[in-house]
Amino acid sequence: MAGDPVDVLIIGAGASGAAIAWSLLETRMRILCLEQGSHLDDMDFPSRREDYELARYAEFSCDPNVRGLKQDYPVNSDDSCITPVNWNGVGGSTINFLGHWPRMKPSDFRTKTLDGVGDDWPVDYHLLAPFYDMNDANTGVSGLGGNPAYPHYTPPLPPISIGRLGQTLANGFNRLGWHWWPSDVAILSRDHNGRQQCVNAGTCDLGCAAGAKGGTNFTYWPVLESAGVELRTNARVRKVLVDGNTGLATGVLYHGPDGRVHEQRAEMVVMACNGVGTPRLLLHSTSRHFPDGLANRSGLVGRNLMFHPLTGVAGVFDEPMKGHEGPMACSILSQEFYESDPSRGFVRGYGLHSGRSTTPMTYALGGFGIDSPIPWGAEHREIMDNVYPYLAGLTVVTEDLPDERNCVTLDPELTDSDGIPAPRIHYRLSENTRAMLRHGEDRAKDVLLAAGAERILPNDSDKVWWRAGWHQMGTCRMGDDPETSVVNGWGRSHDVKNLFIVDGSIFVTAGAVNPTSTIQALALYIGDRIKTNIANLFD
Amino acid sequence: MTDNSLLRKERLLLASILDQLVPGNRERDIPGAGEIGVADYLTDVAVRRPDFEASLRRLLDRAAGLAEGIDPGSVRLLEQAIPNEFREVLTETYKGYYSRPEMRAKVGVGAHPVHPSGYAVARESAEFMDSLTEPVRARGAYYRDPRDTGSD
Repeated sequence: MAGDPVDVLIIGAGASGAAIAWSLLETRMRILCLEQGSHLDDMDFPSRREDYELARYAEFSCDPNVRGLKQDYPVNSDDSCITPVNWNGVGGSTINFLGHWPRMKPSDFRTKTLDGVGDDWPVDYHLLAPFYDMNDANTGVSGLGGNPAYPHYTPPLPPISIGRLGQTLANGFNRLGWHWWPSDVAILSRDHNGRQQCVNAGTCDLGCAAGAKGGTNFTYWPVLESAGVELRTNARVRKVLVDGNTGLATGVLYHGPDGRVHEQRAEMVVMACNGVGTPRLLLHSTSRHFPDGLANRSGLVGRNLMFHPLTGVAGVFDEPMKGHEGPMACSILSQEFYESDPSRGFVRGYGLHSGRSTTPMTYALGGFGIDSPIPWGAEHREIMDNVYPYLAGLTVVTEDLPDERNCVTLDPELTDSDGIPAPRIHYRLSENTRAMLRHGEDRAKDVLLAAGAERILPNDSDKVWWRAGWHQMGTCRMGDDPETSVVNGWGRSHDVKNLFIVDGSIFVTAGAVNPTSTIQALALYIGDRIKTNIANLFD
Repeated sequence: MTDNSLLRKERLLLASILDQLVPGNRERDIPGAGEIGVADYLTDVAVRRPDFEASLRRLLDRAAGLAEGIDPGSVRLLEQAIPNEFREVLTETYKGYYSRPEMRAKVGVGAHPVHPSGYAVARESAEFMDSLTEPVRARGAYYRDPRDTGSD
């Protein structure tokens, strides 16, 4: 019955909440997931509409401040050059993510040792490798095995088409002798487990109506719900409760669809709200034991926020690139400049991602994640007729190093519709990141010209993309030392022994790759450790 | 703002401004934004959004006072005089124009909803990908592994 105590209470039905629920299925524990949003019905996907692009600027914006749906919470980003983006609902941000699926690399887990920056993780690539593989199989990942930028592995499905655009850019990289590889993608290159292969719609951010994209609404949740995991939607957690004597979590208070507050008790609480939502909820869960926020004796809950700052460079070619045909973020990925090289003037590195070109409305409005309309008048006509169809671009995705000044706090005034304080983002680019972005832009131009671009479009802005806050990491970092980390090496709070965090907030460093495959591999690893330690889990 | 709240002469004025913002291309049989009725879209937005209604109203009031009529130079004057309102109208004009399926098709993108049919994209053969990736593979391993360097 609703309200009866459960063994495991998971907060958030996105990437990590679904993965750990799947891992814990075999324990036969009673698992409940509270999700502030709801299921998306098939006909809610805007890509079935003729005017599908309009949804990108309204109810299907990646920006919760634009969407403003009931399940969304506002975000105060006035003190940031990047604003967080997300989706609140079953599947979480895997609903509107782009499905790019690179793994983090071995060096990403040892930046302190190798490069003297950031910190080392308490886990490493090789420990996580079996969980990457497991998650790739569950998700249906497509890619080409043998990428020399990684220890050997082979994705379970063959690669998706890289298309004319990808082939063109690949030739450019080859002419320069630089690394590139077809992207690993959480997008089906063929029918798989009852899901339809990708139809190359090119609107992954508007949700995948075909089910080809590996959102957990299509991958994990159907399995979980049929296996008896209870998914309670439109249930927004207000606070995690703590026993005044033991200091252990006892459950949560949450708002139901009618706004009324309910209590749900649990033996174990798992936070899966990602790098902004999780610290927000912990900071709001104050008590006598934890006056500065739950599990925050280190003072690091909310600190070390990391994004992946982005910029883009585009070239104009002599034939249409058909960039709108195919998964929008994923064609090929170069990691030529990923590892540190002192001669470049910065530490760590970046990836060059071949984003395919976007649809006409989005291009006219400045591009994906940008609010800067292209010129009007005769210049507009010239651009849309003679530039837009011929574009190929590269996105520079940089590593972001941890900095305690970059953080999530609670806004003193702004709240969601249930009166819970909104997160407030404080974030600055480092000089290291700026140097990386400049270097990346120059190298991207080199590639485009080598690939045959007739000219490079000028980029007279030194700003990074505003709506680039997909990847929210570091705000509840993992580590062995309770003084310098929030959770231990398997996601358990140092301060609250029955509280686990499994989302991007536990990242120690950010790497320079999309984090979802690592988030889910970590969640599966933490689930495995919970099962291994089940006899003395809270000791 | 309701459909009737724009006078006929205001609708003509708005259409002429829209044709300056997104002009047509006669050679390619591409109409301008005024020609295809984006004014109706803007009016609908104004009904839903009072802030936009106010911007549109300011733009039209300014435009009505332009002695020289509507041409690129006069529209540039509007942009300089009320940049915020101008940008709002420009943004919604682009949305209204490119939400029309036939306008997408004019710039090489399918007019159809992208689901369920999507686009047919030829799959590269394994042999082709082998050939294309051969130079990359020939360079050998390209990553640092702390285990291999003895630092782990």
